[in-house]
Amino acid sequence: MRYVIDVLIGLSVFFAFAGVMGMLRMPDSYCRMQSSTNISTFGVLGVILGGILYAALYLHNGEIAVKLAVLGVFYIITSPISGHAIAKAAYHHGVRPEKKMVCDKYGEDLEE
Amino acid sequence: MNEFIFFGICFIALALMLLFRLIVGPSVVDRAVTADSIDILTDMALILFALYSGRGIYLDIAMVTAVLGFIGSTMIARYLEGKL
Repeated sequence: MRYVIDVLIGLSVFFAFAGVMGMLRMPDSYCRMQSSTNISTFGVLGVILGGILYAALYLHNGEIAVKLAVLGVFYIITSPISGHAIAKAAYHHGVRPEKKMVCDKYGEDLEE
Repeated sequence: MNEFIFFGICFIALALMLLFRLIVGPSVVDRAVTADSIDILTDMALILFALYSGRGIYLDIAMVTAVLGFIGSTMIARYLEGKL
């Protein structure tokens, strides 16, 4: 069971590393936003699941497990909300995709 | 037991790497998104330290920083949109 917990947390570290590499190397603001979503979904979920398993099976501490479950539910609910709000605010603030934008339906809707 | 400390050091190193994007980010949106990501990575390190030490008080701190990060990024979004 310890190996399962370690593999879950290691997968979480891998997804966080992938998200950080995307945020450092992507050419565009919107691509960087998409990479940051990688951190806040899969990077969080492995640590939360592994922590719940470890607290329930090895620490025998129900308080830590319940608090971790509350944190996981909070992250899953609030990360799409803040991502959507930031992306909409970026468009309104004047940030545009770099150069290969094919169509811009949101801008056409705002024109009308 | 010691691998929690190792993974926590990995998360802190990733957060320190993100400071580059926080400093040279071309627009204010990049800085807001990067600050939110640094907040989340610090929360992960706090959760791992709570599991290492077996105390629940660090999870309270992680919960408070999660709520503050969400409220902060949403307020920055409303301000950039011009509705605040």
